[in-house]
Amino acid sequence: MLEIINLHAKVEGEDIAILKGVNLTVNAGEIHAIMGPNGSGKSTLAKVVSGHPEYEVTEGQILFEGEDITELDADERAHLGLFLAFQYPVEVPGITNKTLLREAYNTIARANDREELDPLEFEDYIVSKLEVIEMKNEFLERSVNTGFSGGEKKKNEIFQMAVLNPVLSFLDETDSGLDIDALKVVSEGVNKIANEKNAIVMITHYQRLLNYIKPDFVHIMLDGKIIKSGDIALAEELEVSGYEQYERKLSVNGEAQ
Amino acid sequence: MSEVLQKDTMLSYLASAVESNSPEIAIKEINERGIENLNTASFPTRKDEDWRFIDLRSISRNTFYSVDQVVTKDVGDISEHYLPEALNSRLVFVNGEYVDELSSMKDLPKGVIVGNLTDNAGSEVVKTHLGTITNYEDDVFASLNDAAFSDGAFIYLPKETVVESPIHILNIFTDADKAFYATPRLLFVGEMYSKATIIEEHYGLADNVYLNVPTTEFKLFAGAHVHHARIQRDSKQASHVSRPIATLEKNAEYHSYTICLGAKLFRNDPRVIQNAEEVDFTVDGLVLIDGDQIADTHSILDHRFPYGNSHQLHKVVVNDSAHSIFNGRILVAKDAQKIDSFQENRNLLLSDSGTVHTKPQLEIFADDVLCSHGATISQLQEDEVFYLHSRGLTEQKARELLVYAFALESIESMAVKSVEELLHKVVIEYTNRDNK
Repeated sequence: MLEIINLHAKVEGEDIAILKGVNLTVNAGEIHAIMGPNGSGKSTLAKVVSGHPEYEVTEGQILFEGEDITELDADERAHLGLFLAFQYPVEVPGITNKTLLREAYNTIARANDREELDPLEFEDYIVSKLEVIEMKNEFLERSVNTGFSGGEKKKNEIFQMAVLNPVLSFLDETDSGLDIDALKVVSEGVNKIANEKNAIVMITHYQRLLNYIKPDFVHIMLDGKIIKSGDIALAEELEVSGYEQYERKLSVNGEAQ
Repeated sequence: MSEVLQKDTMLSYLASAVESNSPEIAIKEINERGIENLNTASFPTRKDEDWRFIDLRSISRNTFYSVDQVVTKDVGDISEHYLPEALNSRLVFVNGEYVDELSSMKDLPKGVIVGNLTDNAGSEVVKTHLGTITNYEDDVFASLNDAAFSDGAFIYLPKETVVESPIHILNIFTDADKAFYATPRLLFVGEMYSKATIIEEHYGLADNVYLNVPTTEFKLFAGAHVHHARIQRDSKQASHVSRPIATLEKNAEYHSYTICLGAKLFRNDPRVIQNAEEVDFTVDGLVLIDGDQIADTHSILDHRFPYGNSHQLHKVVVNDSAHSIFNGRILVAKDAQKIDSFQENRNLLLSDSGTVHTKPQLEIFADDVLCSHGATISQLQEDEVFYLHSRGLTEQKARELLVYAFALESIESMAVKSVEELLHKVVIEYTNRDNK
């Protein structure tokens, strides 16, 4: 489904490389977790894959369903079925959740020659998705993320994911700032959405989230690269010994800055 | 009436050439007052504090004729501009002149007058109030209106009368062989506990040069409630200099919303005067400009008695090298305690070459009041754009939605559904113009 080959990227207009050769393959039905300390490039990876204009790919490729999407705009990637749950969901005063999602849903439907939903059909559809994050109907009429608590914002990201039904979702630190109850709702929501046809890549600093969403693969990212991959045991090991051993190894090898 | 209006000759010319030809004494008196004021008034320059950001050369370098000296194009079918809510409460003026065939007043409550000022100039109400509310002394544009108007809208609501349908004052401007000036006039008198919604619209059918100098006077007696929406969609080559004023008696409520979309140069000096205790008023604005448009609002919220609430939300979107100026004066007299006044000016800059000047000006002489103000100038946040973009919306659509959301609050204040829909469409056109 997703194949990232030797991906290098930097901030547009600057000279400092952030991704320095990432390789990652994700297949349908899989859940991946990318873990790493602050500044390792894991959030940047999510943004680059979703087409953030702030970053420039300097080398390598992103293949999605066999198609090279490295040069596509963010909306075109969304039309193909990519989704990014933001670490910091943006407040958009004046636009309701329903308005944004109907516009997004129908734009994606149009791009894929699927039938658009009229306002009434869409209302039925979107209401049926509210249970994924245990929210009430009023949630739809609120301005996107405006005045939302941290937990509500993260729930809204998962709600959007449920409505837009993407093929591949990157969840960027979806667990950060959540209390235990909100974390449960959010992770149960993700588990309800996950199936054998789609795939999920979680980006997280802590192992906590992985207690609720079981990944098939765990990757450790450090200094712009995935330096080790394994299964859930790798995350458990990290929980005990931290990132330090890997950081030290990098320094010994002289690769760290 | 007058012949030519030109920079250097303008004032001396007007003094000699403008003469009132109105047979109505109430109007003639004001015409003569206007002519006299033109004699002593001086044309503003950038050395005048209130005009320092405005380049008036687009007015002063042009020659403006009176409407009867130019050949105007036929107005044609303008029914698309009629509001479905106001089909029987509409006054139409073409280039400042009343057109009875296009106007429609039917089934209005007993005693309500919606008509041409000239036809009502003999009434006591007009004689008592016309020209007594406006206070733009020494102002060339208000004086020009005084000097040259004869037609105008007159709205009178008797005591405790509610007009349910909005009253639509439609000022249409047509193409002409030469630049002309027009002097729309509006007098509103609402007796005790009367209530109405007024939609005052200015629309240019073509892209021609003209000078539109409307004067509007609103007199609200005790407990009267008025909702006054003003939609300025003049020709993009026109200049529009507005002098709208309202005076409020006890418990009166006056809520005004000015939407500025058209005109090359728009200058608006709204004034609201509190004449008694316990009033409530709003002086909101929404400005959407691009190209080399200039929109300048100099407002005065004049609190003269205790217990009053006032709100002013002035929202501005600037694209290209357009220029917005906001100067919001809030006056609170020494004895006007317990005033609650709130002013906010929010500016959205969509281009690198646009300009915004904003100046709150609070002059408070009472010591027990709540007055706050704020001004912001920002650009569309790239993270907001990307957020919507990543959800599948094109970048253009994302920007359009964000500008629309910015303007939405003002649009929703219109209180008339078809006007809200119209403005919705206009905002989309404004944000979407590059895609045409």
